[in-house]
Amino acid sequence: MILRLPFLSLHFSQRAASVGSGLFLALLIAFVASVQLGAFPLSLQQTWSTFSGNSEGVQRMIVIEHRLPRILTAIGAGAAFGMAGSMFQTMLRNPLASPDVIGFNAGASCGALLAMALTGDFVLPGAMTGGIITAIAVSALAWNNGLHPYRLILIGIGASLTLMACADVLMTKLDALTAAEMAKWLVGTLNTRDWDDVFLVWTGLALLTPLVIWLQFPLSRICMADDIATGLGLTLSPMRMLITATAVALVALAVSVAGPLPFVAFVSGPIARRLVRGGSPAVLHSAVVGAIVTLLADIAARSVPIAQLPAGVFTAIIGAPVLMWLLLVQFRKGTL
Amino acid sequence: MTRATRLMAKDISVAFAKPAVLDELFVCIPDGKLTVIVGPNACGKSTLLRALARLQPVGTGQVILDGKSIHKQNSRSVARRLAILPQMPTAPEGLSVRDLVIRGRTPHQSALRQWSKDDAKAVALALEQTGMTQNACRPLEALSGGQRQRAWIAMALAQNTDILLLDEPTTYLDLPHQIELLTLVQNLNRETGRTVAMVLHDINLAARFADHVVALKNGRVHCEGSPTEVITEKTLGEVFSLPCSVIADPIHGTPHVIPA
Repeated sequence: MILRLPFLSLHFSQRAASVGSGLFLALLIAFVASVQLGAFPLSLQQTWSTFSGNSEGVQRMIVIEHRLPRILTAIGAGAAFGMAGSMFQTMLRNPLASPDVIGFNAGASCGALLAMALTGDFVLPGAMTGGIITAIAVSALAWNNGLHPYRLILIGIGASLTLMACADVLMTKLDALTAAEMAKWLVGTLNTRDWDDVFLVWTGLALLTPLVIWLQFPLSRICMADDIATGLGLTLSPMRMLITATAVALVALAVSVAGPLPFVAFVSGPIARRLVRGGSPAVLHSAVVGAIVTLLADIAARSVPIAQLPAGVFTAIIGAPVLMWLLLVQFRKGTL
Repeated sequence: MTRATRLMAKDISVAFAKPAVLDELFVCIPDGKLTVIVGPNACGKSTLLRALARLQPVGTGQVILDGKSIHKQNSRSVARRLAILPQMPTAPEGLSVRDLVIRGRTPHQSALRQWSKDDAKAVALALEQTGMTQNACRPLEALSGGQRQRAWIAMALAQNTDILLLDEPTTYLDLPHQIELLTLVQNLNRETGRTVAMVLHDINLAARFADHVVALKNGRVHCEGSPTEVITEKTLGEVFSLPCSVIADPIHGTPHVIPA
């Protein structure tokens, strides 16, 4: 299918369009369910009346002040993780890569713990600094006459493992109460999000998404062998730098509002690509999948009777079976 | 001897370690001809082809395309004049033949202008020329080796360049498919006047299809010329250290090598 505007002509498959619409519908359903569910359940009618503006105090407060910011943060963070993961997987030609490969999450955890241990505060700035420094250091170490996928993966994994060990050491230096609080943050949580978080994540997405859409074109070529991509006229190393920087910015954005939620970035890409097929990088589909997974994880976290479990506990529980199911279905049908 | 040439290697050296893979090699790829590069294993055939396509950085010397060093030119602009099909190319799982061929249009497209009438025409033509129109919607992994190689050639054709470089396009194909593929390449050269340069292992096939043969030995051009000039008992002895007899192919008249 071709979308033609005076300044733009986009080429995409019919399947990509229908899968995209389906995913969007699923996200919409998850959104409505998420508004309804919780310690104070709302009927569909009550939900509707809240949004149309004629509802009384408590109900309105629960939805507008508590649930909505949390839900919108979950969607934004999930979308950012999903896009970043899918970009890394396509660029590194490794379906199981994730932004963790570049050490961002490990660096962020280490930075957050270090800030906590030294100052007793500044978790978020610490995490951002740690994550970004690690990403830059890993890319710089992997650079040798250009940025090569394998070197990036190996150095990233090495850096991640080292930083994880450092994080464990730092954790033991904290008192029990702070350590418990930090452990929660490190798993990734959406508890007590407010409209500031929503504003931050959605502004970031609004700025980065056009760039991501533009990058889909080189991404769907860079995923072929180096020689072919070069032969087609792409300049690989600058393009890889740009893709890495964009993906790291997306992860930083998501971590800053939701903490290092595990697994979303890892699982969204494979699910989206298996649904879309045709060898497409499916970056935007991964965004919607990431949003759905995060939102479902948050619904689960809120619905479990044990008080205030972090959503990060559930992202893997929800994402992994979906991926396994897709792999199994395709394996049986022989389309894998 | 002077002849028209847009692509040439001017005293290029490439060294990963000693001895150098290419050693001050000089070669011109004649325009509009089908050139085949032959030589023993590790003589630098593939490295030369990759250097000619700017995939391989050169130590000294330069590759000249249209009068300027290819490594200093904009890669996209080079890709509109020269296409390369590397050895054993890979594509993401599930990619259909048509989507692969569309990728060949990359240097003529941009992220904001992903499809034009020219793109549609070039893709349809490339599929037709390679006989892949029927298989356009099938994923690459569902094809046989010969069909897959045709699909890749279709991608290179869709790039619509005057110069086409192929690195051992017949690898892993059985003899009928080798002949079929080389006939296709020869027809493309004859019908569209494209300059083609390819690396081939099989000297008899090189003799049969080439207009111009370049024989490499130890990173240098040992000799070059028409098949009858190059493929002789003497040169084969020198280049491949192969004792052999060369007779005229009873049907095509081209040289035919019979190893002793």
